[in-house]
Amino acid sequence: MPRARKLLTAVLTLPLLLGATACGGDGDSAGAGEKVELSFFWWGGQTRADMTEKALNLYTSKHPDVTFKKTWQANQGYFDKLATLTAGGDPPDIFQIDDNYLSEYAERKVTLDLTPYQSDKRLDTSKFPEPLWKYGVVDGKLAGMAFGENTQGLVYDKTLLDKFELPAPTMGMSWEDYIAWATTVSKTAKVPGTQDPSADFKAFWVWLRQKDKDLYHGKELGFTEADVTEWFTLWQGARAAGATPTPDVIHEGNVTDITKQLVATGKAATSWVWVNQMPELKKNVKGELGVTAYPGKTGSQWPRASMFFSVFRGSEHRDTAVDVLNFLANDPEAGRILGTERGLPSNLDIREQVADTTDNPAMKQSIAVQDEIGKTFGAAPSVPPAGHSVVKNELIKSAEQVVYGRQDPATAAKAFVTAATSAIGKG
Amino acid sequence: MITAPPEPRLRPGPATPRRARGRSRQNLAGYVFLSPWLLGLMLITAVPMLLSLYLSFTDYDVLSPLSEVEWVGWDNYRRMFTDDPSYWHAVSVTVTFALVAVPLKLLAALGVALLLNRAFRAVGLFRGLFYLPSLLGGSVALAIVWVSMFNRDGAFNSLLGFFGVEGQPWVSDPRYALETLMLLAIWQFGAPMVIFLAGLKQVPAELYEAASVDGAGPARQFWHITVPMLSPVIFFNLVLETINGFQGFTAAFVLSNGEGGPVDSTLMYTLNLYINGFVKLDMGYASAMAWVFLIAIGLITAVLFRTGRFWVHYNDEGNG
Repeated sequence: MPRARKLLTAVLTLPLLLGATACGGDGDSAGAGEKVELSFFWWGGQTRADMTEKALNLYTSKHPDVTFKKTWQANQGYFDKLATLTAGGDPPDIFQIDDNYLSEYAERKVTLDLTPYQSDKRLDTSKFPEPLWKYGVVDGKLAGMAFGENTQGLVYDKTLLDKFELPAPTMGMSWEDYIAWATTVSKTAKVPGTQDPSADFKAFWVWLRQKDKDLYHGKELGFTEADVTEWFTLWQGARAAGATPTPDVIHEGNVTDITKQLVATGKAATSWVWVNQMPELKKNVKGELGVTAYPGKTGSQWPRASMFFSVFRGSEHRDTAVDVLNFLANDPEAGRILGTERGLPSNLDIREQVADTTDNPAMKQSIAVQDEIGKTFGAAPSVPPAGHSVVKNELIKSAEQVVYGRQDPATAAKAFVTAATSAIGKG
Repeated sequence: MITAPPEPRLRPGPATPRRARGRSRQNLAGYVFLSPWLLGLMLITAVPMLLSLYLSFTDYDVLSPLSEVEWVGWDNYRRMFTDDPSYWHAVSVTVTFALVAVPLKLLAALGVALLLNRAFRAVGLFRGLFYLPSLLGGSVALAIVWVSMFNRDGAFNSLLGFFGVEGQPWVSDPRYALETLMLLAIWQFGAPMVIFLAGLKQVPAELYEAASVDGAGPARQFWHITVPMLSPVIFFNLVLETINGFQGFTAAFVLSNGEGGPVDSTLMYTLNLYINGFVKLDMGYASAMAWVFLIAIGLITAVLFRTGRFWVHYNDEGNG
């Protein structure tokens, strides 16, 4: 009977045990100076893993006393593991984190405040756009170093559209025009024109900003039940018109896994992604992909830190860890290796250098598109409050209630606002 | 019972201490032999269990150190019962799952065991084949295969298409997702089947012979000999499978990407517990859920034992 407990215990302890045993490896060959081994943890695909390992090896070749225990995994389950490692008192020295959880970890004092390092230039952010590094500030402390800039990207199957001589979606087209366009695609190409983004917080967010609202105002919601109802109703209309796939396919596309995006699986002509995901997405698609801004009036998207690197506050080698971050962000050679895979490089000099020298077509495209959208960027919101990840999940739940026809938009909107309010209220 | 007067203890006779010492040494040896298990129990089960009992009265959020948790009394329990609709939704999903899957699984197990409880060629092979799915038990791989079999372009729909029936996106449709999970659970009937087979072998053949002589047909033989003789085994399987049924986690997790979807249709109790603990980082609340779960399963098992008195017949009780 205590199996539920055992399960939980096992879940809790296993990563710790594995972590402990893994600690034993590496760091052989005695040398001069103090040997430092930093644990480094990130999520991502194989492309990211290869690049990151290469960049970290470069650091080791320049600082032979510093080695890394590198651990990476897919996005799903990453934050479970990070949380259990933290609970066990043994989080990695350096870990990748995004705006879903940055506030959560910063408010619980897991992350090291990087402000002192920033002010004495041990962490040099002078070449970063200001809104970008500021996105990592939580309660006045720099909790994470923005590593990569990205923005929302509407990615479409160019090969398919060309085949049927259909126009590509364009920047600044209204939501109504976009839905009409998608309906035409569905009818002509016999492939649903667009994934239904009603469950997608980033599309909802852009749409809200076009109405001079926002997803959050500080630690409160920046929208009302009426806004959500309108959003759900907009997409209910799109589904009725045949612009989107069937509910079960929409559900399949409502996952964060990049390989399951409908444009990659061929189940829709467009998907809603972040621009920096193009290289990974490209790897999963045979045809050509195009990317543009989300629909609606321009100026509503903003330069967002795609992710951050944070240092564990209790790390024994904080200074070294911060030096590694500084290296990854500002060293030209490291910048060349890492490219735009995590987003456009935060350091503007490096960004220019990568744009000039990269031979990866997907990266070239990300840079070009983001430059294009970047011309119209609006002001960046501050980093979402703790509870954001729950709000995201609640939006999926409520939107799907409408998609499956189990609730009308108003009922689902009410449930979502209630759940979202309580989620960020606890933070 | 009348016990001997306590005088001997007062008299420190030479025999008593030696015997006591001998006994305690014997006990010690026993404990030493038990120690791997005892240590495991203490460290891996008992200590975390007690800790989780404590945490269930706190606002522990995983990330903050244990020293900073705040005692919130019965708040977590109160919230669960009065202020969390998704909790009750998960309870109803789990109860539905167990009520349907457990009896059907046992029926399937018993049915196949009866078929396999006779001598024919390759009977061993069939027993092995039917048991195979259970070996794969809670495996993630099996759940992944199940999902791909039952999605829109899965093998199951191809089969239906062969008969001219239009398929459904079984796993991505909130109307059928839970049923798909039930089917997976039922399909893994091998473990109770093997136990049923062992039980069937224990039924003395004379009983059937005597019944045939008296003119009882197969149905009567089944109801009046097989079922009563098998009842302890049925009871054992029922208790075990009920507990298992309530704890279904892996398949639901894999099918729904850990979210219990589509629209909460597969939000099993343990999955909801996991989401609260590890996604929402509300570990105090999740601990409280675990304790309520433990008590609920304990109560259900107790009720099963109670009813067992009326229908379980043990051979050694004579009249049963």
